[in-house]
Amino acid sequence: MKTMMKGLLIVLVVAALPLGASAQQLFDFNGQALLPAGVGGQLTMYSVMFDPAPIDSPIPLDFANYEFTLVLEGATLTVDGISRIFAGGTVTIYQDAATSADYANPATFTDGTAILVGNLTSLSQFVPPVGPGSASGHLDWVGGTRLTDMAPDDQLNWTFVSGTNANSGTLEPGYDEVWDGKTEPPSTIVDTEAASMSKVKALFK
Amino acid sequence: MKQFPGPQLLLGILLALLVAAPVSAQVYTVDYLGYGWEQASGPLKAAGDELIITSVADDIDPAFEIDLGTEEVTLHIYGLISDGPVDGGGYTIINYTGGYMDIYEDPAMNADWGINPPNATSPGTFTEGSLFFRGAFTSFTMYFDASGAYGSFEGNLDGIAGSIINEMCTNCVYTWGGAFTLEAGAQIPEGYWIQIDGTFEIDSAVDTETASWGSVKALFK
Repeated sequence: MKTMMKGLLIVLVVAALPLGASAQQLFDFNGQALLPAGVGGQLTMYSVMFDPAPIDSPIPLDFANYEFTLVLEGATLTVDGISRIFAGGTVTIYQDAATSADYANPATFTDGTAILVGNLTSLSQFVPPVGPGSASGHLDWVGGTRLTDMAPDDQLNWTFVSGTNANSGTLEPGYDEVWDGKTEPPSTIVDTEAASMSKVKALFK
Repeated sequence: MKQFPGPQLLLGILLALLVAAPVSAQVYTVDYLGYGWEQASGPLKAAGDELIITSVADDIDPAFEIDLGTEEVTLHIYGLISDGPVDGGGYTIINYTGGYMDIYEDPAMNADWGINPPNATSPGTFTEGSLFFRGAFTSFTMYFDASGAYGSFEGNLDGIAGSIINEMCTNCVYTWGGAFTLEAGAQIPEGYWIQIDGTFEIDSAVDTETASWGSVKALFK
């Protein structure tokens, strides 16, 4: 009985007291993509992240003191056409205080600390004959220095959506498309709060 | 007696003025995130439905001299009337008629989507402050992928009011575009239809520069 009670209390403490989390959370990015020449080629996208306020970042990021970049690499084009399908690929978020991201030098997007590394589990791109396109997929975070800021269940099945535009006035020299999008968890990630046993017990009085 | 220039010379001068001193193109951007809903009963996307969107800028060109840390920039899109869905051959297109986009800068920093719009805060908290830009849509189209779960949109506007009108360029081209999703996985507040993410672009590609007669003539020497 004593062991059962102890187990119950541990579960309660782990799940305890979500802090005032915003209803929506996402990582927002704006970048430039290099498209594969054809089936079998790989997609690469370099982007800079913005503070999405008043929407929250899923984990706190210090935008005042660091630059955050999001890089998509290694997604292989398997089906071409109006609907493109990609296989594999990774998404990495870097935190960097040293250099400013510069599209003329892609290395400035991949320096710093990889705080989150994710595997794309799906990615497709819709490119209508006229008008801009869009990309949609899902990813699981599997590494990075901030991975454990999220509970294991919160690391999986994030939505990835982006506008894709080959005719934008902001297209940088040497790139094929502007990508403006976001990735977000399937449900709000809540923080935890340290609580004494008596405080936890008080919740059930 | 002073002679007036002949018709050929006059034509030459007019042409010179028309092509005078092109300025390097500049694109100013406002990056935003937001949510939209339809104000109509019955099926979504039906002809006659009004699309309304409220959104917040999370990045803005430094040329506008707005500090998003002390002022929010909010966008309110309204009056876009659906012409109804059309099959594009494996995907769906909806053209919209009419519509306006208002952009405000507001030190209140209180934008709040809430749920089940229109509500006490949306669009109300997105239409406060001073008018930064008002544009009338000359075109607006949504493109849905085959699944209907996500897609893109693009619209062109005529600038008609606001503090930036004629400040950044003359004869500016205003474009508003981005991506949307209505997937179950996206965190869309209750009562909203779509989540959007995109960019408002002000393109000064057709800008002009004041030039003296001397500098215009110098172009042809």
